[in-house]
Amino acid sequence: MAERRDARRGRTAVVVSLASAAFALTGYLWWGNHELPPTPLAEFEAPFVFGRFNVPADNPLTVEAVQLGRRLFYDPRLSGTNALSCATCHVQALAFTDGKRTAIGASGRPLDFNSMSLTNLLWGPQRFFWNGRAASLEAQALQPIEHPDEMDQDLDALLAELETDAQYVVLFERAYGEISQTAVARALASFERTLVSANSKYDQYLRGETKLTAEEEHGRKLFMAHPDIKVSLRGGNCIDCHSQFLTSGFSTAYDGFSNNGLDAEEELGEGLQVTTGDPAHRGMFKVPTLRNVELTAPYMHDGRFATLEEVLAHYDHGIKPSRTLSPLIAEADNRVKGVDQDISLHLTVTEQRDIIAFLRTLTDRDFVANPAFANPFVVSTP
Amino acid sequence: MNGRTKVALGVAALLAVVLALLWYRDVSRPGSLTLEFRARSDGGPLVLNEFAYDNPGGAGRVKVRDFQFFVSNVRLGGAAGQFVEPDSYHLLRFDNAERAFTIQLTGVPRLEYDYLEFLVGVDADANASIRAVGDLDPNGRMAWNWEVGYKFVLFEGGLLVDDVQIPLVYHVGFDASARRVRFDLGTLFADAPDERRMFDVDVMRLFDGETPIDMQALSNVKFDRDDARRIASNFSRLIEYMPPAS
Repeated sequence: MAERRDARRGRTAVVVSLASAAFALTGYLWWGNHELPPTPLAEFEAPFVFGRFNVPADNPLTVEAVQLGRRLFYDPRLSGTNALSCATCHVQALAFTDGKRTAIGASGRPLDFNSMSLTNLLWGPQRFFWNGRAASLEAQALQPIEHPDEMDQDLDALLAELETDAQYVVLFERAYGEISQTAVARALASFERTLVSANSKYDQYLRGETKLTAEEEHGRKLFMAHPDIKVSLRGGNCIDCHSQFLTSGFSTAYDGFSNNGLDAEEELGEGLQVTTGDPAHRGMFKVPTLRNVELTAPYMHDGRFATLEEVLAHYDHGIKPSRTLSPLIAEADNRVKGVDQDISLHLTVTEQRDIIAFLRTLTDRDFVANPAFANPFVVSTP
Repeated sequence: MNGRTKVALGVAALLAVVLALLWYRDVSRPGSLTLEFRARSDGGPLVLNEFAYDNPGGAGRVKVRDFQFFVSNVRLGGAAGQFVEPDSYHLLRFDNAERAFTIQLTGVPRLEYDYLEFLVGVDADANASIRAVGDLDPNGRMAWNWEVGYKFVLFEGGLLVDDVQIPLVYHVGFDASARRVRFDLGTLFADAPDERRMFDVDVMRLFDGETPIDMQALSNVKFDRDDARRIASNFSRLIEYMPPAS
């Protein structure tokens, strides 16, 4: 009897010891976390028609990185005044734009450029900013934080601030092993890569789940065609710069940048020439995605057009010639071009209206309401 | 035969076996063939963004702003066998400092080939698909739309005539436009497993066939099939093989 009791005690001791060890190990890993590798973002998915994409090998998409990036994106401590976050100029409800002609940051001075939509950034031109001066999302991420007119934050001061926050210490540790400028940039880039808009009416149409109205379908056909009067093909000329599924600029080399005739030679901005130094790139700006374009007014790199109707009017009969104007825009016309005739698409009012009807099918209400992209500091109430 | 002779013969035999094995390993190793395409016109490297070339069939000077084209279905063939490059869709472009583009064929069996062959353009199956294979990209600049397929050759630029600039847009596609071209590269892999062969690409030859084209009269080619055929008839003149100096 005593032997059985001793044996039972012995087994109990082993079980308790193992349980304690497991508990201690779990606790060590939980609190220390440096032994756990970050978790690959298994649920990430994108439509087949968007095509290939690349995630940098040194910044894989992980649950931890995206969680950290989302928090940083919405944290006003990223600005010198602790009053502005990335989300100040990139508002989810506006497809991550801000509704302003050009952004206004820490200095209160209007910036040179309209806030770009942050949508489907894994595809399209892999150079960022309207003039393409950042070669990756990681290279882009810190520039607005440091810029005195934007968020005006000293990066060393930011890191010091983050190190005082126990939650950030854990989040950085889990995602990147340390708090650093590189980790801030990588985390922001990771979150931005997850901002995929793929459930607009156009997406549903592409998946065969819905039909477009007659106006939308007419607009789609015009969007997808360069006009050719020789074969009686009328076109809105949009696809020459905006790809058929992504509606973004092209990803190859600098093919996703264009001079779309906003200004005549003497007023032409530098654009891509700032990045390449090539005079042939003067006046060329990044072709943005048109996903959610209904929500991203005002339009163009300097926000000069308040409505889509103004945009269509520009492309129809407002083009200003310059040396680097796209030949595709200069040549496109739905009528026989006369001698010395101004550049004009000569679309009808109905055609312009129908192209806008198609553009509105690019609105993705799920995207702008997706809780995974929302401010994590706000506790939603039912 | 004394002991020393036996040892010497043994060592010689062993050496022969080792050398034979090394030779076999070398000749059985697949080769690689680099095809280098250099854009050249008027006897020099392609000049972009300047009115650098004569209008072959009319007045004015021509500016090349963008020039890209597809090469697909690259293969080496001959009596001894053939090598077919997998996923063989290449978008050749020359807007780099070297004005050059290379295609590298790897894992090529070192056989005697009679010719190198490829399409200038895209084969009909791939042209009707939205699968992204090789350099094919349905969201790319060369895609018209999924109902029409790809542009095979893209030339965009301008023509300056009497101080007036005329936009030039040549987007040449359609299945019927693709042209199969073939080159005799001579003996490959005779001396080494890695070979490089050079080709000159002259964009202006697209307009300088049997009947030179006046680029003012035909300043754009898009969806008109007769116009596309006219340019495509010069696809086979676009690329010239430049044999290595013997």
